[in-house]
Amino acid sequence: MTILEEPIKEPVFLRNYVGGEWVESDGAIHEIINPATQKVIAKAPSATVDEVRTAVLGAKQAFPDWRSTPPLARARYLFALRELMEERFEELSRIQTMEHGKTIDESRGETRRGIENVEVATGIPSLMMGYNLEDIASGIDEYVIRQPLGVFGIIAPFNFPFMVPLWFAPYAVATGNCIIIKPSPRDPISQVKIAELVEEAGFPPGVWNVVHGGEEVASVLLEHSDIVGIAFVGSTRIGRDVIYRKCGETGKRAIVQGAAKNFLVVMPDAVVDSTVAALMTSFYGNTGQRCLSGANLVVVGEDRFYHEFLDRVVEATSRIRIGYGLDESVQVGPMQSVDGKERVLRYIEHGMTEGARLRLDGRKPDIIGDYPDTCFLNPTIFEDVTPDMVIGAEEIFGPVMSVMRAKDLDGAIDIIHNNSYGNAASIFTQNGKWAREFQYRVETGNIGINVGIVAPMAFFPFSGMKDSFFGVVHGQGLEAIRFFTESKVVIERWF
Amino acid sequence: MELNTASAAVSFSQQLEDDSIKFYETAMQRYPEGNDILSSFISDNRKNKALIHRSYYGVISDALEGCFAFEDIDTDDFSIDTILADDVSFAEALNTAIAMEEKIMNYYSVAAEASRSLMADVPRAFEKIAKKRHERIHTLRSLLARS
Repeated sequence: MTILEEPIKEPVFLRNYVGGEWVESDGAIHEIINPATQKVIAKAPSATVDEVRTAVLGAKQAFPDWRSTPPLARARYLFALRELMEERFEELSRIQTMEHGKTIDESRGETRRGIENVEVATGIPSLMMGYNLEDIASGIDEYVIRQPLGVFGIIAPFNFPFMVPLWFAPYAVATGNCIIIKPSPRDPISQVKIAELVEEAGFPPGVWNVVHGGEEVASVLLEHSDIVGIAFVGSTRIGRDVIYRKCGETGKRAIVQGAAKNFLVVMPDAVVDSTVAALMTSFYGNTGQRCLSGANLVVVGEDRFYHEFLDRVVEATSRIRIGYGLDESVQVGPMQSVDGKERVLRYIEHGMTEGARLRLDGRKPDIIGDYPDTCFLNPTIFEDVTPDMVIGAEEIFGPVMSVMRAKDLDGAIDIIHNNSYGNAASIFTQNGKWAREFQYRVETGNIGINVGIVAPMAFFPFSGMKDSFFGVVHGQGLEAIRFFTESKVVIERWF
Repeated sequence: MELNTASAAVSFSQQLEDDSIKFYETAMQRYPEGNDILSSFISDNRKNKALIHRSYYGVISDALEGCFAFEDIDTDDFSIDTILADDVSFAEALNTAIAMEEKIMNYYSVAAEASRSLMADVPRAFEKIAKKRHERIHTLRSLLARS
């Protein structure tokens, strides 16, 4: 058992990064706690209204110079940032484990996906090109140029503290915009570390800013007339009812990614060994705290297949090693917060009250190593779940598998469509016709075929539908370029 | 210790490579007649380490089954003896090396097989190293026959 060294030895005091300076905040200070050890690893401020406005003003002032910096030169800043991220890859990954709780494999995966987004954005000289057509009428040409818009706000969730802002930030700055990132107040250290690398890479002051805080900071960004758009990832309640609505009222562009309730459908011809391993990652990876996590397992087929398959799932689940994510033998870390754990416990109680059968009870954690059980949970499996039960319909955001049964593929798809969310769904089968039917009909933004976590690569959009996504274009890749630019049409004639 | 995660498997692989480097460094000091081949093994071990590192860090994604890809592998089954007693002959040292390399080859083969459908480039790297280890065993046997 190897426990990797912690990169944070003493609590660090976080500051806002505004206008290229590290600025002390006058706002209230709160502690950042390592969910596995319960030790304080940082103290972070909540920026005041004036501090956020100062950041927006600085970004606005930086915009004219930055937008006129040639795209190739802007790309070079990103190349430098990318190199620094590679150099610090391990430190950045271990910090994610310390502030979030995820395992080191998961943190390294998060770092890698974040870097991939920077890499894709370095292609901006090509990605940002417009298009043209000669002679739309005799002697008249028409063309489209893509222009940046100004200052964008990026409001990040706690579940991927390093990666999620990078679904947007590299594209925003590559296209010539300036950004204000508001990390989650629960785990803001990763974004501070990235900002340190941004500074080291030599980005001009005001282009890339980080302000700490919660709702109040988000409200200032939403209300501010100089913020032209918001990229948000978080709950559907906040995303739809607050962020998307407010962006509509204030004329801001918006990418709003909300909650999820993802279904994994296992057909009777699935390759059992690989499917079971994929389910472990999908349902329990990141301790179930991701919008692509499996939530409902729908098993299609006769009783015999169902029981044999589920026995395998339960057996594999019961062997999962829970503990501190810096222990390389640990497969699932703690919940990120006590609140998150309590929320999951409430759902488990709810499931029992509703009549679902508790096949595996994860409420009393069996932890590898000597760590407080404050945030830990073992995985839980419910059988006999129906789509109308609360645990079958709502996002639990924890390591809980709700098992349902369907007679056939049509029945499984009906169950999926009865749910209000539409983030991701997967099918496990060897039958191409079923797989094609599934990807064609299922109304979710991301579809997996024998893949449990449908995480789009950086050069593909991170999609979503129904109550899981609000907006038109998505984060990552070309769609992010569209989001962060306006298409200006020029029609040209020379007398 | 049971290996289960990609991180643990990669660390164990790096440790095997480091341990066998130490073995060959000691052997080189003792048996100058094998220096050319033994030094090429050390160089290959370093390349293997780089290959594993590059493969893992290059493709690791939390969407892959990194935490569940290497179950049912017990490191005790692949523990290697890297100690060379003072009085062993070159032939005896070669026999120890062959036994060590067989264990390492088996480890890489088992680890590649276990993770083939779940990880991406890592099993391919392991497979490649297992093949190189197989060739190394042949080289050691030829050397033993000539010694």
